[in-house]
Amino acid sequence: MDSVRKYFKILRISLVERLVYRADFFLTTFFRFLPLITTFLLWEAIYAGANKDDQADFEIATFTKDKMIAYLLLVQISRMFSSMPGLSTGIAREIRDGNLKKYLLQPIDMLTYLIAFRGAHKIAYIATTALPYALLFLLFHNVFDGFPGPLTLLAYFASLLLAFLIGFFFEACIGIAGFWFMEVTSLMYIINIFTFFVSGQMFPLELLEQYPYVTTVLDYLPFQYLAYFPAMVFLEKKQGVDLLFGLGVEACWAIALFLLSRWMYRLGLKHYSAFGG
Amino acid sequence: MTSVVRYTKLWLSLAKFSLLGEMAFRGNFLVKVVVELLWLGILLLFNFTVFQQTTNIADWNVNQYLFFIGCYFAMGGLIETLFLDNCNQFADLVRSGDLDFFLLRPIDEQFLVSCKHIDWSCAPNFLLGVCVMIYALWVSDWPFDGLKVFGFCVLFTSGAVLAYGFLLILTSASVWLMRNQSLFEMWWLFSMLMRYPREIFNGPWATPTGLFFSFVVPIMLVTNVPANVMIKSLEPWWLTWYALGSAVVVAWISRRIFKASLRRYRSASS
Repeated sequence: MDSVRKYFKILRISLVERLVYRADFFLTTFFRFLPLITTFLLWEAIYAGANKDDQADFEIATFTKDKMIAYLLLVQISRMFSSMPGLSTGIAREIRDGNLKKYLLQPIDMLTYLIAFRGAHKIAYIATTALPYALLFLLFHNVFDGFPGPLTLLAYFASLLLAFLIGFFFEACIGIAGFWFMEVTSLMYIINIFTFFVSGQMFPLELLEQYPYVTTVLDYLPFQYLAYFPAMVFLEKKQGVDLLFGLGVEACWAIALFLLSRWMYRLGLKHYSAFGG
Repeated sequence: MTSVVRYTKLWLSLAKFSLLGEMAFRGNFLVKVVVELLWLGILLLFNFTVFQQTTNIADWNVNQYLFFIGCYFAMGGLIETLFLDNCNQFADLVRSGDLDFFLLRPIDEQFLVSCKHIDWSCAPNFLLGVCVMIYALWVSDWPFDGLKVFGFCVLFTSGAVLAYGFLLILTSASVWLMRNQSLFEMWWLFSMLMRYPREIFNGPWATPTGLFFSFVVPIMLVTNVPANVMIKSLEPWWLTWYALGSAVVVAWISRRIFKASLRRYRSASS
């Protein structure tokens, strides 16, 4: 019980810290909508260019224009949960600077501390962006065919929660690699760019269906579960066996990355010399 | 005139010094170049994937759009090489009070804050953008027109001035916000408006938004006007003059705002 209270306090303090620089926070939040708006408009133009006959149900890679906009909106929600800006570079910096020893000297586990800290950031972010996102969804409500059923919603929330865990432990693993590489910023840049494409943030992975071997490989990698998969669950494009298979693979990745991060951390501590600090 | 020569010499010395610093970490330099190559690769991949579904996007065909991407990439590379890293550090200078050391020097503060360091690792982006533009012209059998090339160079330069002005305004905001550690991210998000042809802003709410970001906050003119002049047409001619004029106005406004931000600076932490 004490342990839960301890990490809850960390969550509360992080939440307060996050809201100190409110103006900066709100300005950035406002700016975050710009790419979304331009992306919508770009896809409107793509559909207008492709659909010369002006067919009502014109599709590109099984997506009507409305479904595409809905997908791009939902991908934002997925990334709200799975993106972890600065996590890996932060861990690597603490290893390099020697500040990691604060976790070793206090009765606190680094990964559990960081997950509470990230949880707070996510709560603050979701709470403060809820209104603008609600307005955006309201503005584009006609691109959705209503709310999905309770079971789909349950699967959707499960996929989002697992996306958070995959995003967290994936970045934590890269940060922990700092025990051996010291600096992971460049590696993270490369991974971020790669993830941006293969997670389906740019467009639905169905657009790559002319390369079936690529999409098959992506099914078994963790990246699509960071953005594409939860969005597809909400749109009810993943149902039955597909849905269970996807959730299964996603859960396996969350567990595998959790175990990998703990194993790497233990191994890294043996290697750690606590220089600096 | 003497001050132009003095500042040019100073800038060249700073550029040389930055290059020496960059070359001390060659591995890092190479990784950064690889990152930018990857980013360009993804932009091009997106372009080709999309153009397999359509023949044009808002009246830009595949080659014209490719030229536009090259123009955007070159412009981004130029801004990142010359200014972005400097502006990104401004918030830290304000918060830590280290800006005092900049203000005490007998050099224009804006010059020192925004041009002190040249990020040579971003310079290849500019060259990559130019290569993409040349390739796009080559595959579209573009007939050489010296006047268009000259017009493009002038408008590309004015676009860079315009972008620098907006970046400086965002940078100055850190004095009021106390922290805009996310300036890099903010600039990336804001500059997203330079990434697409302005013709995509079409619709009941999109048209006014497009007009706003073309004529009130003319960030969209940064890449649209030079690319249009080079690969499409000079029409409408008044837009090119508007782009040139707005570069001057935004440069002037941004300097005023920067000066105002310095007056607001309280040197709190020093």
